[in-house]
Amino acid sequence: MRIAVRHETHYTYATPPKSIIQLLRLTPRSHEGQHVISWRIDCDADCRLKAGEDAFGNITHTFTVAQRVSSLSLVVEGHVETFDTAGVVRYAVERFSPLLYLRETALTEADAGIEDLGRTCLARGPLDGLHELMGRIHARMQFDTDPTHAATSAKDAWSLGRGVCQDYAQIFIAAARAGGTPARYISGHFFRDDGVVDQEAGHAWAEAYIPDLGWVGFDPANCMCPCESHVRIAFGLDYLDAAPVRGAQNAGVGESLRVNVAVSQARAQRQN
Amino acid sequence: MLARSADNLFWVARYIERADFSARMIDAALRLAALPKAYGGDGTEWISPLAAAGNLELFKQIHDVPDQDNVFAFLAFDRDNPSSIRNCIENARRAARAVRTALTVEMWESINAAWLELRRIESSRDVTKPMPREEVDRFLDFVKTISRDFDGAAYRTMLRNDSYWFNRLGLYMERADNTARVLDVKYHVLLPEAEQVGGTLDFFQWTAILRAVSALTAYHWVYRESIKPWLIMDLLVLRREMPRSLVSCYENLARYLDFIGQDYGQQGVSQRLARSTYTRLLNSRRDEIFQRGLHEFVTEFLADNSRLGGVIAEQYLLS
Repeated sequence: MRIAVRHETHYTYATPPKSIIQLLRLTPRSHEGQHVISWRIDCDADCRLKAGEDAFGNITHTFTVAQRVSSLSLVVEGHVETFDTAGVVRYAVERFSPLLYLRETALTEADAGIEDLGRTCLARGPLDGLHELMGRIHARMQFDTDPTHAATSAKDAWSLGRGVCQDYAQIFIAAARAGGTPARYISGHFFRDDGVVDQEAGHAWAEAYIPDLGWVGFDPANCMCPCESHVRIAFGLDYLDAAPVRGAQNAGVGESLRVNVAVSQARAQRQN
Repeated sequence: MLARSADNLFWVARYIERADFSARMIDAALRLAALPKAYGGDGTEWISPLAAAGNLELFKQIHDVPDQDNVFAFLAFDRDNPSSIRNCIENARRAARAVRTALTVEMWESINAAWLELRRIESSRDVTKPMPREEVDRFLDFVKTISRDFDGAAYRTMLRNDSYWFNRLGLYMERADNTARVLDVKYHVLLPEAEQVGGTLDFFQWTAILRAVSALTAYHWVYRESIKPWLIMDLLVLRREMPRSLVSCYENLARYLDFIGQDYGQQGVSQRLARSTYTRLLNSRRDEIFQRGLHEFVTEFLADNSRLGGVIAEQYLLS
């Protein structure tokens, strides 16, 4: 499936900041299940945009604006051709041993409940256990954008019983790690087949390492393995490693942020 | 478009690129053979262009010991060698004639003129005597201008539609194959036992190879250090900015296959295969390739590449 993504971030400031610096993880890499056809980042202010790579192999851009701007918009646009690989991720960039992804972080710390969940599920063997885990998280959690925010940890969301895809993914990761399976956080985009194009945020899911299969994706928010509708952008131990935008600004007051993500099926177009 | 036309457009470019490659391989061998014996060369230089091009067996059926003159004659003019420069140009012209109307005047003229000039050289050549070195050099330069001429004409004048894309596919398929083979040359030119990897002779051999594919200056621009085998591998395999590198060839193959797929509204196994190889190249690192062994990597790549050729043929060129 050819998916067109347009990810817009608009900032407005009551008092413009002296400078803004951000680290962007907005650019996907190809792997067996996806081929990046075109991708670009646009900004409406004079800026510096320096491409790089983080330790995991994600493509990063360091983005700096050194003059006062009262508003700023950042538009990322591209086309990706995706294929259904039943969630298995092959030929992606792998810089570390899967064992690294057993490491616990503040956001993915497991409490007794999550630990118990992970152990019980994974006692059934990795593949069945992870599917079971995904099912249980999906059944218990209620999708709700209100109570949680970017810094909500897995255990808080789990005890609330509500959250967004980020929370679902982090609970899954915490539980899988508690059960001894390496797991990691994936940020990306999701094409909805119900016709909804504009979304308020990107999507997130998890990958777990299964011997013989390698890394396999699990999307607990949709209770499915990632397929053609998923565009995989960045990965890491938790949300903070894979966050689309992290940054700071100097002396700005009254920052407000509006994000719009449009994920649609691309129309055929020809270019040279 | 008729499969037959697509096939001809594809093969015109492939044959021209192959002729260019043969000329460059002869050039590399001439340079390697010109190294003084004091550096320890042991005369395997003339096996390398044959082994790399994959026609050592055929050569052995016709000649016994490879030397400068018989290898040159075999690679340049032999009618029994299907990939001799002479045969490549003849085949390219035949294919071009079959799709004459799909080519621009400039493209056709460049091929036709090349063929006429080649015929002239062939008929004026004294087969009983080895060709003098200056004439060999002149001939090799002439062959290299053919590809530049044709390729430039296509780039500058051709309409960007499926004709152009099939033409480009042929070019990049062949170029990817050739680059992989260049990397393998060093595997076939054996270092004498007393010579060390990274020693003087090794250095000269790699330099000759880089020079033959016009990549020596590029090498110095990119790395700014002395010749190191793993950096050469990096340049010719993994560097996107190097137009001859495998990853660059596959970037183009994936792109042009995508255009064709979009235009015809249908994607198939060739698109998937090209993308998958492209992705693997993009995500590989040079230490991994070197650890696994360059020759093994090249052998595997050549098999993948020819599989893609087969799949493209099945999907578009045969029926």
